[in-house]
Amino acid sequence: MKKNKDLVVASQKLLRILISMNLCLILFGCNSEEEASLSANSIIYCSEGSPETFNPQLVTSGVTIDATSKQLYNRLIAFSSDDNSISPSLAKSWHVTRDQKKITFYLRKNVHFHQTEYFTPTRPLNADDVLFSFNRILDDRHIFHHVSGGKYPFFQSVGFAELIDSVERINDYTIRFNLNRADSSFLANLAADFSAILSKEYALQLIKNNTIEEIDHHPIGTGPFKLKEYRTNSFIRYLPHQDYWDKKTSLKQLVFDITPSNTGRLTKLLAGECDIVAYPIAHQKIRENPLLTLESVTAFNIGYLGFNTTKFPFDNKLVRKAVAHAINKQAILNTVYFGDAEAESATSIIPPSSWAYDNTIPVIEYSIPKAKQLLVEAGLHEGLTIDLWAMPVQRAYNPDALTMAKLIQADLQKIDIKVNIVSYNWQEFLRRLALGEHQSVLLGWSADHPDPDNFFTPLLGCTSAEMGSNRTFWCNKTFDELIHKSRMTTDINQRKAFYKQAMLITAQETPLFPIAHSKRFQAQSIAIKGKLLSSFGGIDFSGVSKH
Amino acid sequence: MARDKIYQEEDFPSPLIQLWHNFRQSPVVMIGFGCFIFLSILAVFSPIISPYSPIENHLDKLLLPPAWDNKGDISFLLGTDNLGRDMLSRLMQGTTLTFGLSFIVVIISLIVGVIIGSLSALTTGLKSSFLNHFLDLILSIPSLLLAIVIVAILGPGLSNTLWAIVMVLIPQFIHITRNAVEEEFKKDYVLASRLDGANSFRILSYSIFPNIIEKLIGQATLAQSAAILDIATLGFLGLGAPIPMPEWGAMLANGIDLFYIAPWTVYLPGLAILFSVVATNLLGEGIRHALKLRKEN
Amino acid sequence: MLLLTILSFSLSFLFPGEQIINISGQIHANPEHIELIALEYAKHESLFSQYFIYLSHLFNGNWGISMGSQLPVIVEVINHLPPTIELSMVALFIAMLIGISMGSQLPVIVEVINHLPPTIELSMVALFIAMLIGIPIGFIAAINHRKKSDNVILSFAMIGYSIPIFWLGLLAILIFSILLGWLPSAGQMSLLYEIKQVTGLQFIDILLSDSPYKWQAFQNASSHILLPACVIALAPATIFIRLARTSMLNVLDTLYIKAAMAKGLTFKQMIYRHAIRNAMVGVIRDVGLQFANLVTLAMVTEVIFSWPGIGNWLIQSIYQRDYTAIQGGLLALSCFIFIVHILTDFIYATLNPLARETRNGTR
Repeated sequence: MKKNKDLVVASQKLLRILISMNLCLILFGCNSEEEASLSANSIIYCSEGSPETFNPQLVTSGVTIDATSKQLYNRLIAFSSDDNSISPSLAKSWHVTRDQKKITFYLRKNVHFHQTEYFTPTRPLNADDVLFSFNRILDDRHIFHHVSGGKYPFFQSVGFAELIDSVERINDYTIRFNLNRADSSFLANLAADFSAILSKEYALQLIKNNTIEEIDHHPIGTGPFKLKEYRTNSFIRYLPHQDYWDKKTSLKQLVFDITPSNTGRLTKLLAGECDIVAYPIAHQKIRENPLLTLESVTAFNIGYLGFNTTKFPFDNKLVRKAVAHAINKQAILNTVYFGDAEAESATSIIPPSSWAYDNTIPVIEYSIPKAKQLLVEAGLHEGLTIDLWAMPVQRAYNPDALTMAKLIQADLQKIDIKVNIVSYNWQEFLRRLALGEHQSVLLGWSADHPDPDNFFTPLLGCTSAEMGSNRTFWCNKTFDELIHKSRMTTDINQRKAFYKQAMLITAQETPLFPIAHSKRFQAQSIAIKGKLLSSFGGIDFSGVSKH
Repeated sequence: MARDKIYQEEDFPSPLIQLWHNFRQSPVVMIGFGCFIFLSILAVFSPIISPYSPIENHLDKLLLPPAWDNKGDISFLLGTDNLGRDMLSRLMQGTTLTFGLSFIVVIISLIVGVIIGSLSALTTGLKSSFLNHFLDLILSIPSLLLAIVIVAILGPGLSNTLWAIVMVLIPQFIHITRNAVEEEFKKDYVLASRLDGANSFRILSYSIFPNIIEKLIGQATLAQSAAILDIATLGFLGLGAPIPMPEWGAMLANGIDLFYIAPWTVYLPGLAILFSVVATNLLGEGIRHALKLRKEN
Repeated sequence: MLLLTILSFSLSFLFPGEQIINISGQIHANPEHIELIALEYAKHESLFSQYFIYLSHLFNGNWGISMGSQLPVIVEVINHLPPTIELSMVALFIAMLIGISMGSQLPVIVEVINHLPPTIELSMVALFIAMLIGIPIGFIAAINHRKKSDNVILSFAMIGYSIPIFWLGLLAILIFSILLGWLPSAGQMSLLYEIKQVTGLQFIDILLSDSPYKWQAFQNASSHILLPACVIALAPATIFIRLARTSMLNVLDTLYIKAAMAKGLTFKQMIYRHAIRNAMVGVIRDVGLQFANLVTLAMVTEVIFSWPGIGNWLIQSIYQRDYTAIQGGLLALSCFIFIVHILTDFIYATLNPLARETRNGTR
């Protein structure tokens, strides 16, 4: 009797062990070949923030541009990756009249739009689509103009609507831009990431279904990737565009894993959960790791402390200069940019690598006594409280705004200014900045094209102050005229002279305090090949592959 | 059988000394007690003892590893963080914040909880059943969640965190006091005092309190270890002490960004929290164990 | 409040009939009774003192006797109040959930529905692991009472209980994801698998989907949930160790165990057949309470492991000061905890017939 019972007990035990072993096998068993192929040709890119929208026309934020512009869309013309000159894209050639006021583009044939679950194109790209894309921006009675806010900050800051008289459709594959005056940066602006070409057919479908907001949430373009899925603040999934007119990508899937935390991104890279990581920290550790590489480019960018010149106390030039004198720039460079040749101290908003750079412009030096004296002159030496807005995301021009804010907080304490550090998540942050809720902000700008106008106009121009990226809301007529004049000529020496005068004005008025120009970095596994970064503009996955 | 009396007098130790004897018997508990005393002294005297100010930035000595590492510096014993602040001074001042404040929080909620608890034990009827149900409600919500709720309402900041944790701990003390007092009320010596003519307050203060105080102390140490963890967790989530105060949880949150370049900024605050919680728990265990032994004897 | 009492006091005068009867409700009282009651309510003294006596009666819970049912009014109130409270709570609930989250511009209830399933999954797995590890170890500790293994287990339990969970999470990621590379460090599943979200519960969605990579996805999701669940499970496991130990010690002390030993069962048989079942009953009772604790730990862990659950969402909303989201999230979380609490009470009552008797009593 007892022996039988023991046998039963023993066999029950054996059964239990077998079941648990099987369970373990199922849960952690050997990977079959299918999983290997799934990750072999797919790239996971850990990005630092969520895109605000999927249409680059509407924004200037680098996060959105990185996610959308070169992946989903093409432009009429592009910058060639070898020498940054203007090269054909959707337009296979173009012609500029001698007075530079008429520019005609001849479009490429057989360019197909994306086919997705929500749209199937019936015709290739033609002039109607180009007309639609630009009229949306220019004509404020256009049906789609006010969709998603009606703000086109880049175009407004370069004065697109005043510059262009009309856009003419010559025939199915020819478009002409009629300008009101000559503008040397017009072609560069058309080649910038913002000038995406949308699909008119899709727009008509949306009008018919009464869902016109979808144009910016469920995008259709001609780019190498199409949008499969987007989960807010979580991930973006792109699939390759099978009928892409240019060289198709070799990837089966491209996923943006949205990870705002610096350490989180690096952890995922080290654990193999991400192939490429944006704005990496701990460069030393990455260089030491044989399975990873650190890529970098010298970028056209500027990180600055901007003052809201329409609000107390920074409506007073003396206070702005006082704060500028009190900030220890070198310490910031050492702490935030980790010193080592990864950033250059900025004397003005133009980086030294640009032809418009001028080293004779007076610089505000670090001097606490001067700062105190200026405050006394302004009558505010009794002590002041200001708020300092710091970005929550990492950008090439500023990898750690919060630490920078803490350093500035400690610096300003020495001249009796108390600083409150304010931050929100990136979309909220930009939204409130646009409303002018800040007194001062740590921000920056990465250029979209190598023309120096791309620094001056969007950052300090008057039209940008109204509805663009000019977060200082500074508007100086003389300055505006100078950069305007510089746009009208192609003579480099003349332009240099104009820009020098303009920079003298900004050095005097100090609407912002330039801090540093830095390189843009990226960490990736050694299996990734292809150039992703460029010294201006957004990242480009079309040439990237994995081995 | 008569016992030879060697001594003229006999001395029976008071209950408190009995407790101390029982307490002393376990060496582990004594170590915990010693650590607790060490932390308390540190919490009180840290502003005087610490070598540097916890918020001063030494910008030429950023991210120094602890002194035993090659690149370390003996004048910064435990290294510095990314703004050049000395880790040792920050940890010491953090003791005042995390450990010291938890102590104060427990004392406040103890006093308030005991008062309300004993008052409610005296009442019967609607008020007490209402209190009963309300307490049940609050006690079933875990302390951290309730603290997060309160901080979400009041806004982040050190004083709001303290109020939140005080409000979270009070129901626990009310509950314990109430049960203990009601239990004591049923006993005979209370009946005897009442027959003597003592009113409720007199009974409470003379007869009951001395008997329940040890139970309360046991609960207080439990509450303190929970309070340390809660203060640190709220600090970690950014809902507690504002930057640049050197609260341990906030230090740890700051260190996460530096995890790969300066791992000691993460290890050290975590070890400090672990150390203080273990010390408090050991102390609490020791007291409860000693109480049990004394009861059995 | 005072005005309300004055109003209700005066009502007794204004209502038709004898004032004394109105205020006390004793309609069947005979004249002597009425005299007694009159004394109680100080009928013969001034109105002021009558009012004060009325107030003191109110505070003592003596609200008079309902004329209809002859039950004390207070009992009636207690019986009828809960449904009203329920109704108002539900109304409040609906009002809060219909609110729209300020950050994402989605209705709060949609956000809650999206974020609750991952938390449920994570907490369930963590609870399971905590019970699986904690209870047997607790039993072992009890069996080896006062021997060395008991002390070792108790000391480990205490350290496990004292570790701050966010620190533990970071260490776990460092060791298991980076140094050893065994387990992934964030998220619910590798993003390369396209699994359609049907219920929100990742494992069920994987089984329901028709992706060709079903089993790989299942493996992947399991490896993603393992590390956070273990981190969460540590503190509750130590509590389970303690509970199981106490419960088992109590059981081992009982007469029926001693009888079983006297009967001739070996120690092992006795443990497996009698002791464990009875000890488990004592442990299950506290599972509900532990679950509440566990969910809170899950909230912090979700932040560290970027787990898309309701704790993570709630904490992000607090950072963004998204007030509608905070309200809705807190309400949802508290309700979730309550529901689980009640469920475990029911399960306990089903398992243990003895507990059913005490259901109607109050503590």
